[in-house]
Amino acid sequence: MSLLRTLGSGLRSLFRKEQVNRELDEELGEYLEMAADEKMKQGVSRQDALRAVRLEGGSLDGTKEIVRSGGWESVVDTLWRDLLFAARMLRKSPGFTLVAMLTLALGIGGNTAVFSVMNTVLLRSLPLPNPQQLVFLRVPNDPPDGVSSTGDSDRSFSYPVFEALRKEHAAFSELMAYMPLAVGKVAVRIGEEPEEAEGDMVSGNFFSGLGVSFTRGHGFTLEDESAHASIAVLSYSYWTTRFGRSPSAIGQTIYVKGVPFTVIGVTAQGFYGLEPASSTDFWIPLQNRPELNAWGESSSLNTLYGTPNWWSIQLIGRLAPHITESQALAILDPPFQSAALMGLGTPDPKAKKSILTFGSTQGIQGMRDDYQKPIQILLAMVGLVLAIACANVSLLLVARNSTRAREFSLRMALGAARGRLLRQMLTESFLLVGFGAALGWMFAISGSRALAAWSGVEVPFVLDSHVLLFTLAISIACAIVFALAPLRSAISVPAGLTLKTSNATAYRDRKSSWSGKVVVASQMALCLILLVGSGLLVHSLHNYQTLPLGLRADGLLVFGASPFSVDSDEDKEHFYQTLLPRLRVVPGVESVTLLSHRLGSGWGWNSFWAIDGVEPQGPRSEIVMSANGVGPDFCHTLGIPILRGRDITDADSRSAPTVVLVNETFSKRFFSKGDALGHSVGKNKPENRFTIVGVIGDSKYKRVDEKSKPTLYFPYAQNTSIPNMQVELRTRGNPEALIPSIRAVLHDLDPNLPMQKPMTQRAQFDESFSQARLFARLSIFFGVIAVLLVATGLYGTLAYRVSRRTSEIGVRMALGAQRRQVLWMILCESLLVSAAAILAGVPVAIAGARLMRSMLFGVPPGDMISFLLALVGVILVALAASIIPARRAAALDPIVALRYE
Amino acid sequence: MPDKSSDVVQGTLDMLVLKTLALEPMHGYGISVRIEQMSKGVFRPNAGSLFLAIQRLQRDGLIDGEWKATENNRRAKYYVLTKKGRQRLSSETREWGRQAAAIARILEAS
Repeated sequence: MSLLRTLGSGLRSLFRKEQVNRELDEELGEYLEMAADEKMKQGVSRQDALRAVRLEGGSLDGTKEIVRSGGWESVVDTLWRDLLFAARMLRKSPGFTLVAMLTLALGIGGNTAVFSVMNTVLLRSLPLPNPQQLVFLRVPNDPPDGVSSTGDSDRSFSYPVFEALRKEHAAFSELMAYMPLAVGKVAVRIGEEPEEAEGDMVSGNFFSGLGVSFTRGHGFTLEDESAHASIAVLSYSYWTTRFGRSPSAIGQTIYVKGVPFTVIGVTAQGFYGLEPASSTDFWIPLQNRPELNAWGESSSLNTLYGTPNWWSIQLIGRLAPHITESQALAILDPPFQSAALMGLGTPDPKAKKSILTFGSTQGIQGMRDDYQKPIQILLAMVGLVLAIACANVSLLLVARNSTRAREFSLRMALGAARGRLLRQMLTESFLLVGFGAALGWMFAISGSRALAAWSGVEVPFVLDSHVLLFTLAISIACAIVFALAPLRSAISVPAGLTLKTSNATAYRDRKSSWSGKVVVASQMALCLILLVGSGLLVHSLHNYQTLPLGLRADGLLVFGASPFSVDSDEDKEHFYQTLLPRLRVVPGVESVTLLSHRLGSGWGWNSFWAIDGVEPQGPRSEIVMSANGVGPDFCHTLGIPILRGRDITDADSRSAPTVVLVNETFSKRFFSKGDALGHSVGKNKPENRFTIVGVIGDSKYKRVDEKSKPTLYFPYAQNTSIPNMQVELRTRGNPEALIPSIRAVLHDLDPNLPMQKPMTQRAQFDESFSQARLFARLSIFFGVIAVLLVATGLYGTLAYRVSRRTSEIGVRMALGAQRRQVLWMILCESLLVSAAAILAGVPVAIAGARLMRSMLFGVPPGDMISFLLALVGVILVALAASIIPARRAAALDPIVALRYE
Repeated sequence: MPDKSSDVVQGTLDMLVLKTLALEPMHGYGISVRIEQMSKGVFRPNAGSLFLAIQRLQRDGLIDGEWKATENNRRAKYYVLTKKGRQRLSSETREWGRQAAAIARILEAS
């Protein structure tokens, strides 16, 4: 009540200042009159009476000021005045304001953007109720020996394990299963055109257990799971991009690999599913039909309930309330151990036991480990940029405020308290930082989008309250630093001095010019560190890009074609045998081949093979072999040299004698003395042997930076079961221009058949070092910003100092100094500063480069080229920034300079 | 009349103003004169602190102000004690009595 009244009356005096003032005037006036009346009764003249009253009670204005400053509104009022004054000061020097604000925006925005990436990748909880109860299930030491697994082996489980664990309600209030329908995207059709989307099969309690809310419709039930209902839920973003948020999406049919599903719901905005770093487009209940096997598995044995020892299901549990993770694991371990061995026969008691653990649901699963270090380094880089930016702005402020030294001493001479001046400067710097931060926030929004696009993370980066707090914290820190930096020099000026001295010889002590140099030198040292970092990263990127691949990647187009409407291996072989000739005649196509594992995608096929019936002996890493299923014209199409023997041809069909190509590494390792041709590779039985008919050059398989491994290339048709294949086309001209005509060919074959992830082979290889590319680009960006900031900072400082030394230079020149000497004097100053910066920066850069070791490729942390370039860069910046002020000083007319002010 | 007036004991001006107004509604000058009279000239609050106290009391809802004509045909703002103000006055008077007695006991102890 009284608080309200205080507030009300305060607001009244704020907003109806005139009226409140008038009332106070009137009331105090009356008081004065009455007091005077009293005096006059004692026979004093009116004039004397008024005078006496004033003498006794103080002046009217003084009294008014006392009364007015009693309420809280006076604080607001002064603050408002300070703000207005600050705004006026900033407006008066628009150049300074603009530069300072942009600098801050860059620094704060860059930090915010990078922090928001870190927040999403490492820190953010799932956007679901009580996210701390959610845990991913993991087997960090992999499933028991003898099982087959698809997906990441440390996070895949078998169906019996899921069934056993979901019954443990003491540990989990709910246990949800989910598995992708394909590695990447699956073929879907809505309407006429086939396309691709990311879909997951999930248990019936998936949405209810996670607590996902729905924009439209509803989720699945346990009955839907057991009935394998033909229904689907769309994600909000897929609903937006594919259906334009139309309510009529509900009830539509979506064909997944040709199987119809009816849309029954749309999840709430912000839920992107659980697949790491990608956004799930739709979900269907668990299905038990071979064409909808998890991960797009082609074997008809690996259906949902088909093979108890096929580990392919991912699990996420919601812990029961009031149970700790270790208690839950203790409950879950016995049922897990027995279910894990199901379908494996009698277990070997000495075999290793799989261990069940929980994984955090914070951040993006799987990306935590890969990205933690790089993001920390990135944060350190933007931190350096921010430090440079702050140093710049405070240099600018110090420079500007020393020209205001007269103003400050005047104000102090007139009785302004130091606290009052401090408040004024804080207001000014908060205003500056406020605008800078607002601009920076906008910059961060677009910056984090760009970062998301670059890093290939589909989940949008959210600028949430964590990020906002982070930004506010760094902004406030900046603001306080900026207010304090100039204040020290301002209030340490004796009040009398600046009033007396003229501007030209304005007060300047050794210490303040010294501290300015230190700031510039440390800025340059930071810049040097950044440049060294960028140099190392760019050099690594260059190494990635120029690495020989062992094949001609340019001009190759690759896409996936999965014939899901055919089932048997014969039909599949027929499908590809029909497809290849049709593609060969597409204008612009030179030759075509097939691959079971796309090159450069990070996926591969590792196995152990016997040579001439003998298992090679040695440590696992020595004898493990890579393998790939390939189509006819494999070497010819990819441009891999055939060293001996022949290429795979159309004749190497399913019914033909089984053959294989091996690479040079294979031949050297296993046939170091003789010729590999004519020998055989295979598993135990003689009928499963493949005769080596060709030795071909080494080429990159999974990624660009791998070491060559012994590799086998089997004709795809002679595989035990034919997998879904990737098509490689050797083209003339721009490979991507062919996409429409190839799509038409596929459509002719099967209207449900999409072209899966078509891209150039070069781009696919580039993906394997996308992180290196991202970091190189970002570090170039930050390096350029740092260079610009340092250049402007140095230029500003030097220009300011030259202008202050105008009359000194005039005297020097009048006494006979040559222009060259003046030029040299100014340049020398900046070169000395850069020498100091280099001395300080190099050791730190060396230490920093060591920390980056894990991100470098083929570059030692002490890479001379990077260091030399960085040094040259810093010196060039110093020279470029000082040449203009130096020339200006040298061009001074001594007469004008002496008369200056 | 003693030759020097002293400042009101810190924190008690509010109470004195309330006490003055408990007798009858009064304007600012009246309050000051009344305090001087009642204290036999010991206290004479200056205008600044008086009006500050008035503003404070008004914001706390202990007194209300109203513009009225004076007996000399001037316009002045008359202040009235509210119900809350009356309660506060009695509680503060009690508290003051307790404290004053305690202080007196301490001072007389030696």
